[in-house]
Amino acid sequence: MNPYLPVLVVLVFGIVLGAILSALSFFMGPKRWTKEKYDPYECGVPMVTSAAERMSVKFYLTAILFILFDIETVFLYLWAVSFHQLGWFGVVEVSVFMIILVTGYVYVLRRRALDWD
Amino acid sequence: MISYALFYLIAAFILLCSMMVVVSRNPVTSAIFLVTDLFFISALFAKMNAHFLAAIQILLYAGAIVVLFVFVIMLLNLKAEELKGARMTVPEIGVLIVSAIGFVVIAALLGADGATTGGDGRWTDEAITAAGGNTFAVAMRLFVNFVWPFELASVLILLAIVASVVIARKDSLVSSGVGSTAPAQGKGEKGKVAHGTR
Amino acid sequence: MEQLTAQLNEVLGMFGLALWNDAFVQVVATVLKFAVLAVALLQIPPVMVWLERRAPALMQRRRGPNRVGVSLGPIKLRLYGLTQSFADAVKLIFKEEVVPEGAHKAFYHIAPIFGVFPAFLIACAIPYGPPIDVFGYTIPLSIISVDVGFLFIFAISSLAVYGVTLAGYASNNKYSLLGSLRASAQMISYEIPLGLSLIPIVLIYGTLDLNKIVMGQENFWHWGIFTAPVSFVIFFVCMFAETNRAPFDLAEAESELVAGFHTEFNSAKFAAFFLSEYVAMFVLSALCATVFFGGWQNPFISNAALASFVVGILNAPLASFGIALGAASVTNIAALIGIGVLALKAGFFMWMYVWVRWTVPRFRYDQLMDLGWKFMLPLGLANVVGTAFVLAALKF
Repeated sequence: MNPYLPVLVVLVFGIVLGAILSALSFFMGPKRWTKEKYDPYECGVPMVTSAAERMSVKFYLTAILFILFDIETVFLYLWAVSFHQLGWFGVVEVSVFMIILVTGYVYVLRRRALDWD
Repeated sequence: MISYALFYLIAAFILLCSMMVVVSRNPVTSAIFLVTDLFFISALFAKMNAHFLAAIQILLYAGAIVVLFVFVIMLLNLKAEELKGARMTVPEIGVLIVSAIGFVVIAALLGADGATTGGDGRWTDEAITAAGGNTFAVAMRLFVNFVWPFELASVLILLAIVASVVIARKDSLVSSGVGSTAPAQGKGEKGKVAHGTR
Repeated sequence: MEQLTAQLNEVLGMFGLALWNDAFVQVVATVLKFAVLAVALLQIPPVMVWLERRAPALMQRRRGPNRVGVSLGPIKLRLYGLTQSFADAVKLIFKEEVVPEGAHKAFYHIAPIFGVFPAFLIACAIPYGPPIDVFGYTIPLSIISVDVGFLFIFAISSLAVYGVTLAGYASNNKYSLLGSLRASAQMISYEIPLGLSLIPIVLIYGTLDLNKIVMGQENFWHWGIFTAPVSFVIFFVCMFAETNRAPFDLAEAESELVAGFHTEFNSAKFAAFFLSEYVAMFVLSALCATVFFGGWQNPFISNAALASFVVGILNAPLASFGIALGAASVTNIAALIGIGVLALKAGFFMWMYVWVRWTVPRFRYDQLMDLGWKFMLPLGLANVVGTAFVLAALKF
């Protein structure tokens, strides 16, 4: 039996459960329209500005650095699994890999790219 | 027999999701259809007994790269396309569907020899267990046969890190070197950018 | 009857199964196991909500909900507020759902789903006990047992970011959008140290499979916390950041952006987010217990020894009825004890969640991101390198 068959079952169940919860109050709750209820929430005062504000570019940088370090983590997982077979050769190999990546990380730190002000 | 049917089913979903990625007017909808697309591709990998690749597909592609796409879409505040005439007409959609199905059928007739669909190829369950498990097999090949590409990959990642930091710099060459208005402009830019993080 | 069995066999044969062969039994067992687990997981949020209200109340020298109980006619059971959660759940379902004007309809209704299903998917990958023995079939007690255990968990938990991001985007509210962007940036920032902290565990136990890692912790001194203490520290901190819980809950803190990304979600959708948050908490607690605290293993006495002790006691009175409990019963009772032990350990970490939330003040957002990128990440990398060198020196 393919070990991913239970994954499919659980996935379907999770989606169905989420959908049921999501739809439950939509169908079972009352519906009384009041203008204030449907405005976007701003601590009770009328809306001050519209929802078209520009966000900081830090989020983009965080996401890209996340991808790159995630790739590094995947390579490290691969190495960790075959650690015993590879011996010192593997340790040296991965040390070279990590030195190059730590250089990148130090560059990011020195450039103050990750500073949230 | 069942593995063939399963393959074509998953392939049909992949094509459907890919079409929705291209056709959606809202960019975030496209991104979410891309996530489901990658989910189905991962299912295809899992079906071929490549469990490691299936997990990595979800981890890196669906869980990191598309998150980056979604972040950028939200940063740029991209709205849905507003052109009234941008909707696809029915004949166009029909042509797309027929060509997709035709492509699958032709590929099946020309290329299917059983080895590409299902786990009937070289890497059956027994072969994988004999090689020490999915991840172990991939790891051994990567670190023993492909050492140089592995080290070069790390250099590539370093390149990407440096490039992304350079792109996202606050004080780019344009705003900091332009005459006397530069300091005020720079400060204004900094203030405006910082406002969004409060 | 014979014909029915033959037809059934023919249908099952297409899928590579046959009636009552091992594969078929595993399929049936999976469905049953999952049903039990789903019901058990759905009981956790009510209990946790009650705990979240009673514990801080007692810590803050007040009472919290302690009146709600059950009354069956003349019998009134004062349950110290345990049923308050059920009353809350019923209220949440019947509240009016207000879809904000200008919200993206499709994503508004779909976002809670992206929060719920990753939590349940990961919960199925954790081994809850040693394999049980039913009618001669050995059934493992984890529903999803792929050989890339850790990576699967890691992969699915990175999908949980979408629930938060879509929720904020779908509400036509710029504070929700900002809150959700911050929350998702926080979640992805702490996923890397989380993954890095588990690499030394893979190095030490030599496998990605959670079942084998639990097996490797039979000796008390081989527990993860003794072999990889720095990993435990990193994992413990990242556990809080991943679930957006105190002290990292700036994105949903009540005094900041109202409720952050789920401001515009009310009634049952809010319940869905709450459910997914508590199930994710339980899942990460159970993962921590599995990897660092031996999972379903007992500290010094093995489960099997305890089980045979219990069976020995039970056999004495049962011998008079002519029933003798054999080796299968020992395995099954050991499994039950194992499940209980894991539940206890996971419960301890759930209590730690509540305790830390109401004890420690919350981080500012830039302090939070600094901690993740500038402290946890290099610590994780140094941990991996250090463990590797120590292990290599010891082994080669």
